Amino acid sequence: MERFALLLIQSYEAVKAFKLRTFFCLVSVALGIAAITIIVAATEGAYKKAFDIVASFGPDSAMVMSGSEEARAIGQREKTITLEDVEAVRQAFPTAYIAVPMTSVSGVTVSYRGNRYQSQIVGSSSDYSQAWTWPVVEGSDFTDDDIRRFANVGIMGQEVSRELFGDQSPVGKFVLVRNLPVQIVGVLSERGTSPGGSSLDNRIIMPYTTVMKKLQNEPRYVLAMRLRFTDLENLDGRVEELKALLRYRHRIPDGQPDDFRIFTPKDIVKFLVALTGSLVVFIGIVGVISLVVAGFVLANLFLLSVKERVKEIGIRRAVGARKKDILMQFLTEAVIITTAGGIVGFILGVISAQLLTYVAEFPVYFSWKAFAIGLVLSWAVGVGFGLHPARQAANLVPIEAIRT
Amino acid sequence: MASPVCIMENITKSFHVGDQDLHVLKGINLTIEQGEFTAIMGTSGSGKSTLMNLMGCLDVPTSGRFILAGRDVTQLNDDELSELRNEHIGFVFQSFYLLPYATVLENVLVPTLYREKKKDRVRDRAAELLKLVGLEDRIKFRPTQLSGGEQQRVAICRALINDPELLLADEPTGQLDSRTAEEIMNVLTRTNERGKTVVVITHDADIAAYARRIIHIRDGIISE
Repeated sequence: MERFALLLIQSYEAVKAFKLRTFFCLVSVALGIAAITIIVAATEGAYKKAFDIVASFGPDSAMVMSGSEEARAIGQREKTITLEDVEAVRQAFPTAYIAVPMTSVSGVTVSYRGNRYQSQIVGSSSDYSQAWTWPVVEGSDFTDDDIRRFANVGIMGQEVSRELFGDQSPVGKFVLVRNLPVQIVGVLSERGTSPGGSSLDNRIIMPYTTVMKKLQNEPRYVLAMRLRFTDLENLDGRVEELKALLRYRHRIPDGQPDDFRIFTPKDIVKFLVALTGSLVVFIGIVGVISLVVAGFVLANLFLLSVKERVKEIGIRRAVGARKKDILMQFLTEAVIITTAGGIVGFILGVISAQLLTYVAEFPVYFSWKAFAIGLVLSWAVGVGFGLHPARQAANLVPIEAIRT
Repeated sequence: MASPVCIMENITKSFHVGDQDLHVLKGINLTIEQGEFTAIMGTSGSGKSTLMNLMGCLDVPTSGRFILAGRDVTQLNDDELSELRNEHIGFVFQSFYLLPYATVLENVLVPTLYREKKKDRVRDRAAELLKLVGLEDRIKFRPTQLSGGEQQRVAICRALINDPELLLADEPTGQLDSRTAEEIMNVLTRTNERGKTVVVITHDADIAAYARRIIHIRDGIISE
């Protein structure tokens, strides 16, 4: 044990003594490990974010959007889902404990005592908070009664609330939605941004009946339908049935595309993974290349170092070092350097990932996993590329080594 | 009477140079008893360095019988030779050969790194040895901070740390001025007086004069 400690100390002394070699090896390993760290963090971040989104979207939920696959941007698609569709789905699927219509108008000017703000108006049933697992933190949700009587009430997202009311509570106050006076009855909790990066807190939820009649002048069609199922494990099957039902109701002949799209948590994960994926692949290639380059830098500098230290190797052999002792010494030196490189690289990775999140809203998440993977890889580089020079050192003939 | 430290019978050593054999040692017969202080004298090209390499188990003879510390050196493999050097031989070189990046104490401890049979208190022992040569206040210095004589004294401590049977010094004063050379030879003499077998290889008659036995080597043949 003491001998191992001595080996470590002496290797450490050598690492300190050959500063230039240490520096170059360390930097090149650090760059590679930094890239790898970012990949691991980004991958983990993407999964974590996907998981968060699925949790907030609801793992048991599906969303049916109006308009076909090829249709234009969100909000401008042709509306194809009717209130009757929603009712029919509610009747047809006993396990759908929530089946609610949803519609939306974006870019609506909302004002309160001279403060004006552009917001999105979402029309929903009274189950909005439950349908989205999105708690009302102040006041309350509107009621079925409000839906029936086209009431001018709404619940407000955090961002609009801040913009219009500052620190004050909007509950009980009247705002103008376009020219429609609407009483705010509740405030939603903070939600953050969507996977696409837009704010989810800039919205006012109102009864769909009110929105359709008074803001859209639309008797029948809605933008989307939101569903939640009690039999989560059958979700894929339910989606197929739902598709068939809607195609039948919309009288779409075989071979024609759907005039609606169904989203499930799976699609959201797919979307996010695709978003992160290309960047991960790119950094991944950079990371692997720079690690290999780091390995060659290390191997070459160590070969040089072995040549420089022939005499030292000779002395050590003369005083009784076996070949494997010399091998271990050079490997230990290599691993000490790459370990330090790995740690520096991890810190570098954390810093640049923070920058990346700041610039590109890229989800990153650091865990012991990123650190462990970096460390193992840096050991692998140390042993893998240090082996050849260490062998060369070990196989020197002692008398020739001393003589040089 | 204890058995001799070193027995060489009819030792030859040849090297292949180009396509011909170079016979450097041509039948050496030499026995070194425990506690002897022997000088091996010869000019360059006489084969004295080759003899020293063989005696130090850094190389193996082409033919002949060679027993060191009771073991037949010609039968040993590389690891066993390393072990033999580690436990039974202490080297002192002309150019000191200390590790430049290690401290005085760490230099003295290098042979203990490779010792199979663990010994206790190696640090205390290293400190004692350094004190015997008057370097107790230089323990944390680096070799470059020491004079040549001091470096050679550190090298002697390193050679003695594993308590070997044989201390082998190759031109130990070759790079030192005459006053420092005297100092080093006194250290070696005192080491011998404490019971250590010492062999000094030199071309210098004044240095050889410290030894109680002088062996001349010439053209690969020895004579006393």
